[in-house]
Amino acid sequence: MYIAGMNSTQTTPMKLMLTRFGLRFPRLALLAVLAMTVALTLQFPKVNFDNDPENMLRYDEPVRVMHREVQERFDLYDFVVVGVVNETHEGGVWNPETLGRIHQLTHELLSLDRNEEGRPVIIRDGEAMIPDVRPQGRRAEILSAAFNQNPEHLFTEDGEPGLIGREIISPSVVDTIRQLDMGALDIRFLMEEVPETQAEADALFAEALANPLYRDTLLSENRKALGIYLPIVGKEFSFNLATLVETLTADWPEEDQVYITGLPVAQDTFGQEMLVQMATSAPMAGLMIFLLLLFFFRRFSLIMAPMMIAIFSVLCTMGLLIGLGYDVHIMTSMIAIFLMPIAVADSVHILSEFFDTYPRFKDKRATLEHVMGHLFMPMLFTSLTTIAGFASLAFTPIPPVRIFGLFVAFGVALAWLLSVVLVPAYIMVFVPGKSLDRLEAPSKETQVKSGLLDRFLVGLGRFAVRRRKGVMVLLGVLALVSVVGISRIQVNDNPVLWFTPSHRIREADRVLNRHFGGTYTAYLQMSAPETAGEAPVILPVDAPEALRDLAAEEGTWEDLLSLAMETDAERLPAWDALGDVILYLDPEGLDWQRLSEALQESPEATRNVFLESAEALRELQGADLQDAALNRVDDLAGRRWEDWVRDARVDAEAPAFRNPAVLRWVADLQAHLAEGDVIGKTTSAVDALKKAHLELNRTGAEDDEVRFYSVPDNASGTAQVFLQLEGMKKQDALFHLVTRDYQQASLWLQLTSGDNQNMVRAVDQVEDWIAANPPPVDLAFEWAGLTYLNVVWQQRMVGGMLQALAGSFVVVLLMMTFLFRSFRFGLLSMLPLSLTIALTYGIIGLVGKAYDMPVAVLSSLTLGLSVDFAIHFLQRARELVRETGSWAEAWPLMFREPARAISRNAIIIAIGFTPLLFAPLVPYRTVGFFLATIMFVSWLATLLILAAVISFMPKALFGRQASAVEATDSM
Amino acid sequence: MQTQLKIRIISILLPVFLTGSIWAEEAPPVNEIIRRAEKAAYYAGKDGVADVKMVIHDASGGTREREFRILRWNGEDGQQKFYVYFNGPADVRRMAYLVWKHGPGRDDDRWLWLPSLGRVNRIAPGDKRTSFVGSDFVYEDVSGRDPNDDEHELVEVGETQYHIRSVPKDKGSVEFASYEVWIDRETHLPVKAEYTDSRGNVYRRVTADRIEVIDGHPTVIVSTVEDLSRNSKTVNTFSNIQYDVGLNENIFSERFLRRPPREAVR
Repeated sequence: MYIAGMNSTQTTPMKLMLTRFGLRFPRLALLAVLAMTVALTLQFPKVNFDNDPENMLRYDEPVRVMHREVQERFDLYDFVVVGVVNETHEGGVWNPETLGRIHQLTHELLSLDRNEEGRPVIIRDGEAMIPDVRPQGRRAEILSAAFNQNPEHLFTEDGEPGLIGREIISPSVVDTIRQLDMGALDIRFLMEEVPETQAEADALFAEALANPLYRDTLLSENRKALGIYLPIVGKEFSFNLATLVETLTADWPEEDQVYITGLPVAQDTFGQEMLVQMATSAPMAGLMIFLLLLFFFRRFSLIMAPMMIAIFSVLCTMGLLIGLGYDVHIMTSMIAIFLMPIAVADSVHILSEFFDTYPRFKDKRATLEHVMGHLFMPMLFTSLTTIAGFASLAFTPIPPVRIFGLFVAFGVALAWLLSVVLVPAYIMVFVPGKSLDRLEAPSKETQVKSGLLDRFLVGLGRFAVRRRKGVMVLLGVLALVSVVGISRIQVNDNPVLWFTPSHRIREADRVLNRHFGGTYTAYLQMSAPETAGEAPVILPVDAPEALRDLAAEEGTWEDLLSLAMETDAERLPAWDALGDVILYLDPEGLDWQRLSEALQESPEATRNVFLESAEALRELQGADLQDAALNRVDDLAGRRWEDWVRDARVDAEAPAFRNPAVLRWVADLQAHLAEGDVIGKTTSAVDALKKAHLELNRTGAEDDEVRFYSVPDNASGTAQVFLQLEGMKKQDALFHLVTRDYQQASLWLQLTSGDNQNMVRAVDQVEDWIAANPPPVDLAFEWAGLTYLNVVWQQRMVGGMLQALAGSFVVVLLMMTFLFRSFRFGLLSMLPLSLTIALTYGIIGLVGKAYDMPVAVLSSLTLGLSVDFAIHFLQRARELVRETGSWAEAWPLMFREPARAISRNAIIIAIGFTPLLFAPLVPYRTVGFFLATIMFVSWLATLLILAAVISFMPKALFGRQASAVEATDSM
Repeated sequence: MQTQLKIRIISILLPVFLTGSIWAEEAPPVNEIIRRAEKAAYYAGKDGVADVKMVIHDASGGTREREFRILRWNGEDGQQKFYVYFNGPADVRRMAYLVWKHGPGRDDDRWLWLPSLGRVNRIAPGDKRTSFVGSDFVYEDVSGRDPNDDEHELVEVGETQYHIRSVPKDKGSVEFASYEVWIDRETHLPVKAEYTDSRGNVYRRVTADRIEVIDGHPTVIVSTVEDLSRNSKTVNTFSNIQYDVGLNENIFSERFLRRPPREAVR
């Protein structure tokens, strides 16, 4: 497979230093490697999984800092979303039985506590009970034990539940404010008691639906679905909490379907699945490679060495990763799968060569020294290029990808070292000389077996050389197709889409997003600067001259107020006194006679004005008379300027989100967003305000909604309504939407899809509208929320990957130029991999497969692996041209043994990954599919393109040696 | 020498003797202690007036203030009427609450006046344990909890305080599972109350931080509520406290919500 005699045939002691160590102390070398592997494998139980897409960005990345600030400022938590869906009952979930179950579940979750043994306890029907959350089934048990997963881990270190009870959103514990029939304002939880009849359930539904905060969040308009939102202290509790909910709802009837979703659950569940993948996919890939090796080489003792290298390097790399305290992320969980074929390659070459040359030397040590001297440089360079490809990922801005790149690079280096030291040691110890003595020159068996492949390769070579113009045209066409495809690439990632469509998470996601406004959230932060510029005070026309003059001179509020009070003092005290006399009268039996008598003591002037203008009240009696008389007094007294100035000051100094103009502007923005199809629902403090304003004013008239479902007219009005909301039963619920100083507010967007393109469209919609409709006061806008974070890291990923790819391209080009001591050969060796990468991404663009993280990382893998083929091809071509004297003589030989070696390598890697195609997680499938594609394309590209291009310009490449090519070349 | 010894013996014996005398004294029945405490805390005088400055400290260190005046009038059989008039912040000035407490076993009547809406809202009888104007105090802290709603148990008779544990009769009606209260034996005022949730954790604490005798009535001048789960607290500071000012019962009516009485404004 590896081509002997690469570049330098003489064996220098430097090259053989490592191998000689292995030959001299084989047992020591084997023991040392074994000890290292065992030591590092022992690190495995320390494993910590990180499935948080947030960690795709650095912790101090500005958008994450912002996200955390927002979470803190508004006390926002990640939610486990429990959707209860009833499609069969007439009333949907709004029937007494289902609501009863929801109520019970809510209270059971609220009662979650830890007993003395540290086990979770809930109260069911008044009795303490330990829910059985342990894994079901033997396999799940073993896995959870192996990876230290404790399903009863539901509490923080200080014993508090990971579920934040007081912030649970469920009908049983969310506020409602409403005007009862008898005209009383009722502030309570929506469902303090479970309705007993269907009619009561219907009424409850109507009430919930009428609340803009709950519609499409807590309940669906079609009555079929109801959402319970369980806030958690940290994402690490989400899977266990989901399991707890499943346990508690296990006895629910089939009509009441329970779906659990939310990004944290998706992430945590992914972690669990990842664990299963690591435990199955990697060994399966290993087994597949083993079987292929057995098929090609048919010698058990021979293929043990490559398998050993693969297993040792994978175990050591993962052990080191875990031991160094890095979390296992979706990317790093794939290290084993990426590493295995690369690790196998080197040792396969050594053994292949060893068995071919042994009969010449009839001595293990001598044969090995010969082989290693031969292979040292090609192995070093193919390893170095692979390392360069992966190490370049260290320059991406995405931490998990960096770790992945660096550790695969480490694994490749380790595999190379093990190949150089361990394989010779293995042969010295485990392969008996006797069995080797029976070896003949290169096994004919193999040649016969792969006769089909040989015939194909010969034909391929002929095609590449004779139809080289056609090949070049094809190359051009493919390049063009690739460009078109690449231009269509859709950058998109969505953690929920990491699951296959039939997975229960995907199903829950689908069902709940169909019923609700969307389970993907983003927040638009609106912040007002500390001090807003004050508008000039405009007094009404009836204002006294002095007051207006002072306002015009921009007098201070204090001055205005004292002047207003002076103005009032000239006129009002007499009226106040008169009014008080009337006010304190007992309305019982009050008539005009008694009223006027009571006024006897009041100053005459005021009294006379009142009595003359109040003639019309003579017939009234009791409370009616008292109220009418008081209103009369108010009219006669006229405006109280003190109140006017105070109110004007409140308006002028109101914080942004108590300013009615700003609040109406937010409402307009929400109305605009409701029209689009990207955003399922928006929620803001304005919704709560309008609802409370309506209920506080409700009269029972039909036009209540029209008149009062609105923002109050002035800042005092908004303040007074907001104050009622501050005092709701679920305390501080309002402050999830607005800060306590009302200077900042959060607009909560619910999207029905977590695709970043959807998020980008939402951002555009918001920003376009704001640009066309600037807010009434200066506001700063910022985005937060998990869905938005995804957009940011995906943008980083594209840019970062391109940079990494470009960087490693240059590095590999330089390495090739150095290896071949020729810039032309360097360029030439880059050609097949360039086409492979272009074509791979072109296909991704054309078939509409989203460019997600695994896809992005594949570019480095392609670079690292497919350049190996080119190295072998070109190196061998040079040798053969040197031996035969011309390219014309050399190329038919090229398509025999060398082409076969390259083909085998490609087949092993491609087929070795087919188990991935059956993985339940989409990223693994993606990697499996594209690895196969990449191997196929780069294998074909190497053989076709290199042969064709060389045939165009053998002289330019090989110099005089190749002059004969023109004569023999037939076209 | 002899006298010195005597004095020393006395000084050692004196506290023992005093303590002994307290132990010797029969503690009154727990319901009596509670009744006296309720009287001291909520029924001092025939009526009362006080200005309250309320400061709400949230978990992140921010504060919000409210200023209001409370007028209280005592009727017969535990009946009471409260009038709460807001002076600040400026945007809620003139907002007012009216509470009619009908005594044991009956729901209170409550009204709310929002001046900018120009409307009086009657508040449905119901949860008295909702926040009072967004603070950590609940309505019940302002007007008092009906002693008949709980079963009381005397836990300990301390040197200066009675320690009582109370469990609500209707568990579903309140958010706590039980509370403990420490009542000063001399003034009869509750000086500390701690509320325990169903998980057995103390999550709320009310304390009387300063007590002064005003017009012969021991009176809480500063009191604090801490919400330990939300890490928030509210401090009420009382001033201009007066008892027996001769409040007119009529001012505790809807008409006086719309037009505040002199007693509230001046």
